[in-house]
Amino acid sequence: MSTVSERTVVQPSTTQAALPEPSRFSLKHPKSRIGWVRPGVWLPLAVMLAVLAGLWQWGAAAMPYLLPPLPAVGETLVDDLGYYLSNALITLFEAVVGLAIGFAAAFLIAVLISELPMARRAIMPIAVVLNVTPLVAIAPALVVAFGFGPLPKLIITALICFFPILINTAVGLRSVPQQVLQVYRTIDASRGEMLVHLRIPNALPYIFAALRIVFPLSIIGAVVAELSASGSTGGLGTVISVASSMNQLAVVYAAIFVLAVMGVLLLGLVTLAERRALHWHSSATD
Amino acid sequence: MAKSAVELTSVGKVYGDGAGAMVALSDVDLTIDPGRFVSLIGPSGCGKSTLLRIVAGLEKADSGTARVHDASVEEACAAKLIGLVPQTPALLPWRSVLGNVTLPQKVNRGAGQRREQIGDLSARDDTRSRPDMMELLRRAGLEDAAHKLPSQLSGGMQQRAAIVRAFGLQPDVLLMDEPFSALDEFTRESLQDQLLDLWDELKTTVLFVTHSVSEAVRMSDTVVVMAPRPGRIVDVIDIDLPRPRNERMFAETRFHDYEDLIRDRLHTAWRSADAA
Repeated sequence: MSTVSERTVVQPSTTQAALPEPSRFSLKHPKSRIGWVRPGVWLPLAVMLAVLAGLWQWGAAAMPYLLPPLPAVGETLVDDLGYYLSNALITLFEAVVGLAIGFAAAFLIAVLISELPMARRAIMPIAVVLNVTPLVAIAPALVVAFGFGPLPKLIITALICFFPILINTAVGLRSVPQQVLQVYRTIDASRGEMLVHLRIPNALPYIFAALRIVFPLSIIGAVVAELSASGSTGGLGTVISVASSMNQLAVVYAAIFVLAVMGVLLLGLVTLAERRALHWHSSATD
Repeated sequence: MAKSAVELTSVGKVYGDGAGAMVALSDVDLTIDPGRFVSLIGPSGCGKSTLLRIVAGLEKADSGTARVHDASVEEACAAKLIGLVPQTPALLPWRSVLGNVTLPQKVNRGAGQRREQIGDLSARDDTRSRPDMMELLRRAGLEDAAHKLPSQLSGGMQQRAAIVRAFGLQPDVLLMDEPFSALDEFTRESLQDQLLDLWDELKTTVLFVTHSVSEAVRMSDTVVVMAPRPGRIVDVIDIDLPRPRNERMFAETRFHDYEDLIRDRLHTAWRSADAA
């Protein structure tokens, strides 16, 4: 049954290897780095942005209490750049450290449940319940318990990031092909050796897929926690809640814009790290 | 006389129980002398793969015993006496070819000591040293591919890498489960040649599962014919053809006589199983 498919796979891979790959800086490369100079590449997006900006301005003129004009948003961004950046750093710190804590916990538990079926039965139901619980609803309670400092923000962010990493890592650890495991079981490789040499590298693509999901989630977690703690000393969530209570719409949207840029930068970093770590994996070149 | 490399005594294996039980192996006796190339052949369901998996320590026999160099299968695995080449190459996509074929030497490092404690093998140990994996890759025609990733290789080259990985262990018993079944005809024949070349030099014991009659005759010293329902051995045929066996041999009548003999045995077994 596999005969036919294997045969068809054999041919293309050999011929492809023989073809020299065009440079990344050549326009012929499908993912050329300077492809952006071609109007066909950037024009659709530019037109779309212009249309959206026009709609926004029209809306801002018609409903001044709902939308601030774009130049006002730009103005406050430029004038108070230091203010936005320092608050962005606070939110970024909460997001990244919270994610790191969530990642460490999820990874360790994923290893535990992939090695011990007993641990799997004990932990998975709780993890699933945790996942379906709207975690943002816990934020006010955590603020009551832990005050206005960074701790409740880190806990919320870690909790939000926990489940996607746990599930993906657990699946990746278990999805080593049977025949690979058999080769190494026949030479009596220990469970630790199988974990380090087979399971964890096999899980890496799954882990990176999870990271792509949880980096944006980590910012959501940090902002929601800041919004819930109305007395917080800093962070873009605090900026938004303070400014909206004073009806400073331009400041609110400027802060949202900074959050969006932060999200894009984090996603870019994950993609970069993925390309380096998963050069052998087809998803890394997509 | 040296002890046998593989010894199976009235091995039985049943999957499931009650009315749905399937007897995969029934009362199988098989003795393989060291250095022999032995093929298992038979229709699907005859238990040839199950037999291989029992010798590989991947499954336990329900009855009877399986011993490798007079040690239990578990002891043999712990001492790295056994190398396995599965149906697919089963290479790790994140390791280069060289990284793939050297990894088995990096795991279970205590195996060498355990091996010395296994009776008749300790004497041979002085002559054994770590094999030069680059040399083995070169002999398999994979020198240029050593630093490539498996996904950059053709299916035939990947399977060759899997064979090098197994030979690199210098196993006392090499188990191969239809290793060429997923390859096209030309690739298969050249890999058969290369396998025989390597085996000729290293003279390890090979247990080779196949469903191709001509492959079995071409490769083996002994062909074990199996039949299904229940899985059992119906005949053991020694192939008395000179080595090295090259393409000219295909034209010889003796080669075809062996093929006809094995086909005949397979048909007889098939008919008797249908009648039962």
